Amino acid sequence: MLAVRPNQPKRTAFERQALVHTDALFGAAYRLTRNARDAEDLVQDALLRAYRFWDSFQQDSNCKAWLLRIVTNTFINEYQRKKRSREVLDAASAEQDATDGVLVHAEANDKRSPEKVLMHHSVSDDVQRALESLPDDFRTAVILCDMQGLSYKEIADIMECPVGTVMSRLFRGRKLLASALREFAVAEGYVKPSTPTTPPADGDKPIDLETYRAAKARESKS
Amino acid sequence: MILCESIDTLAMAYLDDELAAEERRELELHLTECTTCRAHLDAERAEHALLRKALVAPPASDLLRTKIARALDAEDRVAARAERKRWSSWLLPGSAVTAAAAAIVVFVGMRPPSPHVGSVASEAARQQSRTLPLDVQGASTAPWVKEHFAPEFIPPVFLGTGLSLKGSRLTAVYGHDAVLLAYQADSFALTALVVRDVGDDDLGEGSEFQLGNRTLHVIQAKDRVAISYVAPDHTGYMFFAPELTVDELLQIVVASDLFQHR
Repeated sequence: MLAVRPNQPKRTAFERQALVHTDALFGAAYRLTRNARDAEDLVQDALLRAYRFWDSFQQDSNCKAWLLRIVTNTFINEYQRKKRSREVLDAASAEQDATDGVLVHAEANDKRSPEKVLMHHSVSDDVQRALESLPDDFRTAVILCDMQGLSYKEIADIMECPVGTVMSRLFRGRKLLASALREFAVAEGYVKPSTPTTPPADGDKPIDLETYRAAKARESKS
Repeated sequence: MILCESIDTLAMAYLDDELAAEERRELELHLTECTTCRAHLDAERAEHALLRKALVAPPASDLLRTKIARALDAEDRVAARAERKRWSSWLLPGSAVTAAAAAIVVFVGMRPPSPHVGSVASEAARQQSRTLPLDVQGASTAPWVKEHFAPEFIPPVFLGTGLSLKGSRLTAVYGHDAVLLAYQADSFALTALVVRDVGDDDLGEGSEFQLGNRTLHVIQAKDRVAISYVAPDHTGYMFFAPELTVDELLQIVVASDLFQHR
């Protein structure tokens, strides 16, 4: 019965400019946290924070990039701390369950329900597992670029690092992710083993446009 | 050739649309001449497409959207409340429960004891509503409460009891915004203290009564009795009517529209 009088102009602006990105934010959060429950918590936290700081949003800038920055920062600062404490809790309760009664083996569980096995071993699950193998910085760069279509500059602003660093994280993140996906696909028989489509690049060569541009400038001078 | 040496960088920046126009033209020209670089770029493009496809995530659930809307509602409420703070006249110390109980005692203590329902009590009740430090009295009470406590708040109506809303005062209980509603019938008075954003257990001391899926409590404050109820939206209600017995008060409270259609 205590419905609220929304803070009308602010609320309307926020709904029009920010909430339209809810799907995109959830997608990013889902890949960052790698599970739906945590992703929902993260998106809700981040949007609430965004709403509180809505006055500080520069109206002429990219709202989605601004929101993704909040999602990313919230993920780094808050979520991972929460996750650690929850892991401790989960471990404690798992221990409790184990001592309470019969220990159900994961595989035995799987055998009971073939549908479940299929569902849980979906390709999408492989993506989450493959992402798991990436360092956080690489994963974040790949998510912001390949899922969200942000520019190198926007990603650099969010991750607070130079554009060159974004490029190398992106490059290595993509390679790692692609090879992890290939491994899972091979392991589960989706694809036959084959050599990677792209030969691994020279590891020492910097992936950086600035370096290229500098070399180019030197070349044209000489 | 510098383009061949930097093909990793260039192919990536090209596919991400990060090259300057001139650099792009230069690379495209080079690709027509260099099959190695062209093959490299094609492979990168395929891998790129694969990754993008793999990363597609499910959309946000309706439940999440609802949760977000609710969180924003709560935030709006906090902002609205901050604006209203100046209306809060005083703050009671202690926990929500004891503070609320103290409010009852303070209030109740102001009126002369009148254990019997009758014309004396009726007169006392009338006096009480006059001597109470109310912010508003009379017909404008309901709109005033709407304006100053919460825009969507509707004071409870006690059906078939003859009770009508006589006045109101804004207050605070342990930092929670609260409003005191004074009702009066011919032979008795009833006061409702409405507190916002209380926890389910904040008013849950004393004996418990179930009414459908709602839980009411009978709170004992010294020799005074109040009935408390926390609505699903975390609005806490405390009702007290010194002229009535607990049973009578309980009957009146459950007859209120709080438990009928809200």
